[in-house]
Amino acid sequence: MAKGRELKGRIKSVEGTRKITRTMEMVATSKLKRAQDRVVAARPYATSLAQVIADLYTPELAERFPLLRQPAATGPSGGRAAVLLLTSNRGLAGAFNSNLIREARSLIERLERSGAAVDVHVVGRKGIGYFRYTGRPLATQRTDIGDRPTAEHASELVQDVMRDFIARRLDAVYVVYAKFNSAISTPPVSEMVLPVTPPERKGPARDYILLPSAEAILSELLPLYVRNAVYRALVETVAGEQGARRTAMKNATDNAGDMLNILRRTYNRARQAQITQEIAEIVGGAEALKG
Amino acid sequence: MLKVSVISPERTLFDGDATQVVAPAYDGEVGILTGHAPMMALLGRGTLRVTEAGGERRFTVEGGFLQVVDDHVRVVTEKAATS
Repeated sequence: MAKGRELKGRIKSVEGTRKITRTMEMVATSKLKRAQDRVVAARPYATSLAQVIADLYTPELAERFPLLRQPAATGPSGGRAAVLLLTSNRGLAGAFNSNLIREARSLIERLERSGAAVDVHVVGRKGIGYFRYTGRPLATQRTDIGDRPTAEHASELVQDVMRDFIARRLDAVYVVYAKFNSAISTPPVSEMVLPVTPPERKGPARDYILLPSAEAILSELLPLYVRNAVYRALVETVAGEQGARRTAMKNATDNAGDMLNILRRTYNRARQAQITQEIAEIVGGAEALKG
Repeated sequence: MLKVSVISPERTLFDGDATQVVAPAYDGEVGILTGHAPMMALLGRGTLRVTEAGGERRFTVEGGFLQVVDDHVRVVTEKAATS
């Protein structure tokens, strides 16, 4: 019963794989929950900051802040841009990382076609691996951020580009990350974080007592706003990764189940066919003996 | 009554009613009671004290800003810890 034994081996192997994918699905589900909580917890800060900047911002003030310097000043072509790509350290998350890389690639191409030099900064092993494979040198790379990004991580990431932007060595900074709409919708997006696009004011202007002054407050808060855009991107990407992994592992588990059904059916059929054949042989033998 | 929230980039540390808030502004402490005029102030480093009906809460804060509008006090700070 050579065929039967072979089938039995395959059933065992698929069962083993299913056990792994099901476990990974459950791990991703629990990590997703925590990551999702962090996305929600980060919202009040982002809204407060955006609202205050919107309240204080006036176009007249804009010229005095280097972070608000629009690229139009240097002309549409030429210049230097930085792209910060956020990916995950681990795979087995479906097309999650390749979607992010594709988004980053098309952004880089678009910028280069417009004549800009592009520095690429990458977070996460998957993105770094891709650019190492294509042979493109990276400006910076890091893999130590992991599942729990903090505001400090974000400020480390933006510090240098912000300094270069103020010193006019950079004209624009983009972040490519996974937007966390829901656990099943995590599209890759590119967002321009520098120059800062001032948030729009909602509601009437108020006459604030300002300590010390609108200018001083803005110059303090604008860098935080940039930092926070990156922090949000980090948190959303982590949540997106877990969501994508859960979906991928759920599909894998389901597919393994389907495959097992087919294999078991084939195995049983082979087993029955063999029994039937054995009986036929015995009966045939007995008949022959009766003569 | 003041509605007070203390917010850091990672989470909201406190959200509730208070009678008085004393915050470390960039150049010294500011105290806020109900009926305060709209205000925005940069924060320095120090202890934020929120007086509730039942007692006082203290937070160590550093950087960020304080906003007062219509008896809503929002303390948005870079580093915050309950102390």
